[in-house]
Amino acid sequence: MSNHIKLKRRAVLGGTAALALGAPAIVRAEDNKRVVVGTWGGDYSRLLTKNIDTPLMKGWDCVHAEENAPPRKTKMLAEKALRRGTSDVQGLSSTDMYEVSQQGIVETLDYSKMPNAKHLLPAMKYPYGIGHIYSGKVILYNPKMIAKKPESFAETLNPAMGSKLGIIDIQYQYTMMAAGLASGGSMGNFEPGKERLIACKKAGARIYPSNEAFAQALKTEEIGCGIMWKARAVQWQNAGIPIETVAPKEGVPMYVSGFVMPKNAPNKEGAYAWLNAMMAASAQEGFAVDMGYNPTVTDAKVPADVQKRIGFTPEEQKRLVDLDYGYIAKNDSAFQDWWNKKFKA
Amino acid sequence: MSLVVDKPRGQGLTASALLAPATIFIAISLFAPLAILFRYSLNDFVPETKTMVEALTAANYAKFFTDSYYMAALGTTVKVALLVTAVCLVMGFPLAYVVARTQSRWKHLLIIAIVLPLFVGNSVRAAGWMVVFGNKGFFNASLMGLGLISRPFEIMFTEKAVIIGIIAVNLPFMVLSLQSVIEGIDRAVEEAAFSLGAPPLTMFRRVLWPLALPGILAGTILTFILAMNAYATPFLLGGPLFKMMAPVIYNEFTQKTNWPFGGAIAFILMSVTLSLTLIANLLIQRRSAR
Repeated sequence: MSNHIKLKRRAVLGGTAALALGAPAIVRAEDNKRVVVGTWGGDYSRLLTKNIDTPLMKGWDCVHAEENAPPRKTKMLAEKALRRGTSDVQGLSSTDMYEVSQQGIVETLDYSKMPNAKHLLPAMKYPYGIGHIYSGKVILYNPKMIAKKPESFAETLNPAMGSKLGIIDIQYQYTMMAAGLASGGSMGNFEPGKERLIACKKAGARIYPSNEAFAQALKTEEIGCGIMWKARAVQWQNAGIPIETVAPKEGVPMYVSGFVMPKNAPNKEGAYAWLNAMMAASAQEGFAVDMGYNPTVTDAKVPADVQKRIGFTPEEQKRLVDLDYGYIAKNDSAFQDWWNKKFKA
Repeated sequence: MSLVVDKPRGQGLTASALLAPATIFIAISLFAPLAILFRYSLNDFVPETKTMVEALTAANYAKFFTDSYYMAALGTTVKVALLVTAVCLVMGFPLAYVVARTQSRWKHLLIIAIVLPLFVGNSVRAAGWMVVFGNKGFFNASLMGLGLISRPFEIMFTEKAVIIGIIAVNLPFMVLSLQSVIEGIDRAVEEAAFSLGAPPLTMFRRVLWPLALPGILAGTILTFILAMNAYATPFLLGGPLFKMMAPVIYNEFTQKTNWPFGGAIAFILMSVTLSLTLIANLLIQRRSAR
């Protein structure tokens, strides 16, 4: 009897030891099938699951680390010295993608590892990241409140709009860009727009902390105009917010949202598999229909009615302008200082 | 007979073993990050590339004290924290007194009702206030519906909203600190004052207040520190034009990636909070010693 008990105890001890020795290997094996995707929360994360993770990443465990871009960029920077980071891909705007590439924390991508990249629009193919979706900065206005349709940034970011004009705090870069274009500046010189913005604020323009707060103000008709991505405007129109959009005369600055791979991504194979899936036509079509952004691949077939709402006419497409990433990255700290200390003061 | 009491052998060792885990945990989780942050605060920052460069400079500290924007943020923070603490004390004392003195069998429910708001996170509570304070929120809609006002009050994204929000967060801490001390004050000393002819206000000033000072000190220090470091409430209710220190620090770290300056502001906030707390502590102790 006692022998029997001893044997059982040994077996248990032996089994435990074997498990303990084997556990790291099991964890590693699980890690190899896990892809950690840094992304914005809400709709973006939900649609990544719906259009990429679930249908196209079978056999992979896709984990979303949801946060706004600034804290995720900060974490990437904090993990710079680590051999293994905590994320495999990170969703960022094109300006942020450029910034992290300048900080030397993202991988130069090997496009040969992603077969779907052959359909990628050339403008969306960055050495350090891939454009996932794009839209353009347009004018939003409520025809009930604004009698004359504003055709340009100059007519929108106009002190005459008074408190009917809404400005989004976190959109300081694009607001300064639009004001610059409206005042004779260029994509590489926002300076001429500063005076215009100060005049708008003095005339009563209202400043909102987030895109959502701005949308709410449009909905309650606290404000009647402003500037925003066309894709967001389409979402808000669908939600019953009474606005129309106009592609501004001065040009339509592009907004690109894409993905980068941190240099210390723990699962680079998984990251390439995920990025490849992200460029699949079906995933891109899903994002266009669900979120109102334009696909970045040529083989995506967007329904004509959706294309009409989210896309740009050939005339408008000619006015699409890409950003001067070098100029923005170099001056971003100065832009924030001016925005916080002068404009918002 | 020897007067020396022999300690059982190993008692010192046992005490060390009991102290060590908490001490090591605090040392690693608090002091090590603080030391690293302090070192960062002496580094340089290159705005063009948003990178930190190793250096040994006090420039970040000098920048804070010479830039009116940051000094204004510190001024606003101290002002809001002092105001919130004073309001919490004035509102919290009567409530704490009632809770401490009540003989009701529902006393435990009263205490739970005071603690209940702490079950909800600050950001969730701030989100609730956003619904109340908006131009078409509960408050304005009710007043306009009743015909009392024709245009909505601007509360959301103002200092008023932040002060109301922080008071709501901090009040339970003040009440609980005061209630525990008032409970320890014998009711007989109050009755003695009354029997000697002291009116209620004199009894409060000469008896209750001095005896409750330890609780007042604990409550005000706790409330003041919480208000000085408030993040979620000023961020969500204060809006883009209102600046308190904690959101400014967060902005330096995440938006500007300026860790050296963010670190310096964090140390300045910590030093100011500690200094003001120590001064208040000394003043109250000196007063109570008289």
